[in-house]
Amino acid sequence: MKKKIISLLLAAAMVCTMAACGNSSGQENASSNAKAEESGSSDAADAVEPADAPALGSQEGAAASAEPVAIKVFSNLTDRKSGQGFVEQTLFDQYMAENPNVTIEVEALDDEAYKTKFKAYASGSSMPDLVNVWGQPSFLDEVIAEGLLAELNQDDYAEYGFLSGSLDGFSKEGKLYGLPRNTDVMAFYYNKAIFEEHGWKVPQTYAQLNQLAKDITAEGMIPCSMDGADKWPISIYYQDIVTKILGDSQQDVRNSVSTGDFSNAAYKQAAELMQESVEAGLFQNGFETSDYGTAQNLFTNGQAAMFYMGSWEMSMANNEEISPEVRDNIGIFMMPVVEGGTAQVTDIAAWNGGGYAVTQNSAVRDEAVKLLNYMFLPENWSKIAWENGVCMSAQNYADFLTGEETSVQLAFTDIISSAASITGVTFNDLGDSEFKTNSEDLSAELAIGMVSPEEFIAQLEAAAK
Amino acid sequence: MNQVEQKFTWKRALLYACLLLVAVVQIFPLIWLVDFSLGSSNEMFTNGLLIIPEKIRWDNYVTAFVDGHFLHYLKNSILVNVTAVVFVIAISILAAFAVTRMKWKLQGFVKTLLLMGMMIPIHATLLPNYVIYDKLGLTDSFWALLIPYVAFSLPQGLFLTCSFMDSIPKELEEAAIMDGCSIYRIIGTVITPLMKSSMATVAIMTFLNNWNEFMMASTYLSSNKWKTLPFSILEFTGQYSSNYAVQFAVMALTAMPAVVVYVLLNKYITKGVAMGAVKG
Repeated sequence: MKKKIISLLLAAAMVCTMAACGNSSGQENASSNAKAEESGSSDAADAVEPADAPALGSQEGAAASAEPVAIKVFSNLTDRKSGQGFVEQTLFDQYMAENPNVTIEVEALDDEAYKTKFKAYASGSSMPDLVNVWGQPSFLDEVIAEGLLAELNQDDYAEYGFLSGSLDGFSKEGKLYGLPRNTDVMAFYYNKAIFEEHGWKVPQTYAQLNQLAKDITAEGMIPCSMDGADKWPISIYYQDIVTKILGDSQQDVRNSVSTGDFSNAAYKQAAELMQESVEAGLFQNGFETSDYGTAQNLFTNGQAAMFYMGSWEMSMANNEEISPEVRDNIGIFMMPVVEGGTAQVTDIAAWNGGGYAVTQNSAVRDEAVKLLNYMFLPENWSKIAWENGVCMSAQNYADFLTGEETSVQLAFTDIISSAASITGVTFNDLGDSEFKTNSEDLSAELAIGMVSPEEFIAQLEAAAK
Repeated sequence: MNQVEQKFTWKRALLYACLLLVAVVQIFPLIWLVDFSLGSSNEMFTNGLLIIPEKIRWDNYVTAFVDGHFLHYLKNSILVNVTAVVFVIAISILAAFAVTRMKWKLQGFVKTLLLMGMMIPIHATLLPNYVIYDKLGLTDSFWALLIPYVAFSLPQGLFLTCSFMDSIPKELEEAAIMDGCSIYRIIGTVITPLMKSSMATVAIMTFLNNWNEFMMASTYLSSNKWKTLPFSILEFTGQYSSNYAVQFAVMALTAMPAVVVYVLLNKYITKGVAMGAVKG
């Protein structure tokens, strides 16, 4: 009995101390942020020396005149040998070669671990200088509110050719805090050879898409592979249907999320249409548990006729590991319009997601901004990313067309240049991080029929409020 | 006689069948890992249980070794883990002696306090610990990994060591004291040699727990200097899809030292767990 009481007391004491720790660290954090903001640049300049000390030795011979600078980069691109990580590393290497006094240290973690570590950094004193950010309220709002990011000078980027609207997600109250890395467009990839062989046609209306799903299922194939385990592709699919009913609806959707009013009939109609498609067998069996790789491989192995995913997968068309029967036959089409709606097929689901920002408390803030500006010179990120077929940048890359693009790359370029409207950040990323989790869970539940369209709307409204 | 022998072999056959089944279940993941690490990323998504690679891709291992900085991470992993094991064993034995053999006022309280460490989830400590390390200037150092690894393995180690120590007859110590042994000599020359199987158990548990640990390592470390083996897999993780074949190769390489440690210490571990469990 005595032991029991003691352990109970202990447990209580532990909880108390933990809570106390949490509080005090939170306060410290806020106060240190405030302090940094007040003290401004002179403080930052003082702090340069200790940060640079370790780099001194190695750099002495190379550039005795320029002061050595070490820039710490925190990136979510862990694979430095391919994809966007390769482009990023190439630019860093170039920059270090051109500026021998600069050393760039990259720390890379993948999304989940990145976000945890980002919080840790935010509560400590050693925030890296250049960080990866997402131009979505669900991530950026809290970070900006904490005063973690440095404001960028918008005039610097007048000549950079950023597409109109692409900087919006990285701006708050007229101030610019980051630069977007790419433009993402959601589309159906389809296997032209399979379509031709069976006489299937690219659907022009949503009803035709459902019919197509039935036709393909009847032949014993999977119509469209879907990454349901990650949930965000389903959310974007839903948003895509809404867009194909309402047309240019960026502002409407933003208002809906901020006010929690989803009474517009289009939301319910889109929910019904999504369930209809699932019933028609559009997605593979058990799509809600298929992860990204599984879904993609159903398509690249020729088991699925279509694959609903973003433009970043355009590199499938020059991926040597995919068999030529699939690789050379990839086509794309956009979500078809819904009959009776006011939308055109050129109202597309597209946004600028990942990007970079410089941290406010960085000891080498000016150098980090210089590096950022260098990376996004049009002939750098835009050009290298395009030539490697990695992604479409958020800048105008028309000058860098080489004539050797894959048909998929060209098709995406056409879609972007002829778009009547774009959705911007999709609805699931418009609220706070809690809304993101809730709305994505809801989308998945809607897709598998766990909630009815009415319940979906009601719960979505509750989540937004 | 004949009948008995017949029955005997049937029983044996059944026993062997069961053992074989368990062995297959235990070993299959390793076979699967090695099998897939020799294919290409694209062959990974089959409906079959195992694949027969079109071409055996040893280059996956070369890539894992070179691009994954395998040797550097391996060195760090071994250094951190071996040090952690040594600390955990040493502290466990000393603390267990203090709370089971020595009579003092807060004996039970201290034991409960140390064992309660088992109830703390790692995730709850990530941020507070980071802030503490940050203030002490310990982030991104060897200690940033060693301290939590020892701290989180200690309660379990202490628990096993305590119950094992209870089963050692007190008379041995009494005899030692009669002969004029000091406390430290009792621990060093009388108790410790009797604790071999318990030490092996604690060593294996600590080692295996920390070998694959990633969450704490990724939070407390930032430069490459002290990163451990699990970071190697990250180098092949793409933003959306990954180079799975090479990741499998990395995992096979990562699993190897753990398997070797297990095989080396295995004969002690069963003994240790069993003996520790039935204390007097």
